[in-house]
Amino acid sequence: MKKNPLLKIALTHLFSKKRQTIVAMLGVTFGIAIFIFQAGLMSGFQDFFIQETVNTTANIRIYNEAEKNRPSILDKINHQPNHWNAVQNQKPKDEQSKIKNGYQIISILEKDSRVAGVSPFLGSQAIFKVGIAQIAGRVSGVDIVKENILFDVSKNMKQGNITKLETIPNGIILGDGLADLLGAKINDNISVVSPLGVNLDMKIVGINHSGLTDVDKSRAYINIRNAQKLLQVDGSYITDINIKLKDFSQSEELAKFYNSKFGFRSIDWKEANASVFSVFKIQNMVTYLIIVSILVVSGFGIFNILMMIIYEKMPDIAILKAIGYKDRDIKIIFLTESLIIGTSGGLLGLVVGFFMQKIVGSIRMDIKGFVSMEYLHFNSTPGFYLFAFVFGIITTAVAGYIPARKAAKVDAIDIIRSK
Amino acid sequence: MTDQAIIKTQNLNKNFHDPVEFQALKNINIQINQGEFVSIVGSSGSGKSTLLYVLSTLDTDYTGHIYFDGDDLSLKTKNELAEIRNQKIGFIFQFHYLLPEFTVLENICLPASKLAKYSEEEIKDRAYKKLDLLGLRDQALKKANKLSGGQQQRVALARALINEPKIIFGDEPTGNLDSKNSQNVFDIFKELKEQFNQSIVVVTHDMSFANKTDRIITLKDGEVI
Ligand SMILES: Nc1ncnc2c1ncn2[C@@H]1O[C@H](COP(=O)(O)OP(=O)(O)OP(=O)(O)O)[C@@H](O)[C@H]1O
Ligand SMILES: [Mg+2]
Repeated sequence: MKKNPLLKIALTHLFSKKRQTIVAMLGVTFGIAIFIFQAGLMSGFQDFFIQETVNTTANIRIYNEAEKNRPSILDKINHQPNHWNAVQNQKPKDEQSKIKNGYQIISILEKDSRVAGVSPFLGSQAIFKVGIAQIAGRVSGVDIVKENILFDVSKNMKQGNITKLETIPNGIILGDGLADLLGAKINDNISVVSPLGVNLDMKIVGINHSGLTDVDKSRAYINIRNAQKLLQVDGSYITDINIKLKDFSQSEELAKFYNSKFGFRSIDWKEANASVFSVFKIQNMVTYLIIVSILVVSGFGIFNILMMIIYEKMPDIAILKAIGYKDRDIKIIFLTESLIIGTSGGLLGLVVGFFMQKIVGSIRMDIKGFVSMEYLHFNSTPGFYLFAFVFGIITTAVAGYIPARKAAKVDAIDIIRSK
Repeated sequence: MTDQAIIKTQNLNKNFHDPVEFQALKNINIQINQGEFVSIVGSSGSGKSTLLYVLSTLDTDYTGHIYFDGDDLSLKTKNELAEIRNQKIGFIFQFHYLLPEFTVLENICLPASKLAKYSEEEIKDRAYKKLDLLGLRDQALKKANKLSGGQQQRVALARALINEPKIIFGDEPTGNLDSKNSQNVFDIFKELKEQFNQSIVVVTHDMSFANKTDRIITLKDGEVI
């Protein structure tokens, strides 16, 4: 076995500057650990959120979009290139947001082999009243059995049973936040008033907790027939059709397909939550910016210590060159030093990051914000560890390269003469 | 005669530009043959070290020609010069120059590890033989900076010998040695020359040392006289 003298020289240099070496190493450790922790936290949170939205947003939603910016009738009949028609105070057409033949579309969809479940929906704003407490919210008129196939409503029931919505004619299931706000408990009576002034007396048959705080504070499930009563419409009136697919990755593609097939607007869950995803994008950018700056700072730490070593070890470099070591060998020595700092600091950073995740992840947080969760969710896929480590090594190599090149360029004879 | 030359110079000139233009070597034409033991003498500042650095390929800022083993050094790349230094040249500097944090043994092994002609075991063996030659075996595992000046100088000599170079340059290699050790070093040089046909070029102020060598080159103000 041949011992590599370059490695030994590199190690000797680092040992002669133990304290600075450790500081530089911990710089990398810190950078990598924060990387793992922060990226895991962000992505864990986002995964959790996406999971929750996938559970609460239909893969595809079909609805009737009222035409906004509708061209005026004048524009339609008198459309000439050099003319300009002025129509003031044009009002939106009193167009129903009803999906025509909604139940027929549903039965077509139910036969589609790619579809796992279809649920009709009729939503309305409503005021909930218990005694003098009254809260504005929304009622979701659903066929609870079908709705359950899509959103696993029964899993989120804190109290009561979803089937009561079918069996009890005027049953209602409240979000837990909404129930708290109203001070209402299961089996209490509640009145629901629609924007049209229709008042229904209902009985609370369940309390539901979806995990999305805003939703839980404002939503109640009722039977779709009761929703139709509240809105004074006939029994075929629905505004939305929600679809769950067997493979939710087909959402975007099939949304387009249904859009042209049925002539109603069909959006997939990503589009429905586009604003949230754009927030995530910004969030990710900020996170990575912070991480990159930390690593750049640790890169400077490495740069610094290597420059110190080089100035101190000028005579060593000169001797090595005088006895036949090439510029490249000298470069390798100092690159090795930076990689030793980077690798050891990086590996330690992976371990520290892992335990930071484990420790923080085991603390009960009971967060009630955007979403509610008991514990922080970390995404600890090996990919992050690999990425963090590789990124750390690249930073290290870049930070080490400049001093290494400088060392390789040292003119041996200048130093030997000046002694 | 010429085919025997290990080093031959042709109109070799060396100028320093900083702080003022100064010609340290003037039109040097010398030849050193394989197996020759030559000493260079001259007063302080006459250019002895400067000449040695140029001849040993460390200093490449000169005009004229140096032929090493028949090849014109000015045509060689930096890497090729490094290889020549590693394989064919041994150097003992005026101010002994060791890696302070390495042991004596490691210092001696450095050129051989670079050359990588022998296994690490064999290199160590050879290093110990050189240490024996110089009476330093018991110092082998000490850090180089724990040695006395004279000891360090002899370690530098051992390091210069390890790759069995064709030529050994010594810049006052006996400067720190007492007469007994100085004689020992002289004997080693003589043996290298006689047994292995190695060339020795030594700068010295010690005229009795110089007088025992094959030939004396005298420098005065950068010129051979
Ligand atoms: N880097 C330099 N810049 C300018 N002049 C230099 C430089 N190095 C040496 N000199 C000059 O070159 C001349 C020769 O120097 P050199 O070191 O070769 O002398 P030397 O014969 O080895 O002397 P000594 O016996 O004291 O070692 C001196 O006059 C010196 O001042
Ligand atoms: Mg000198």
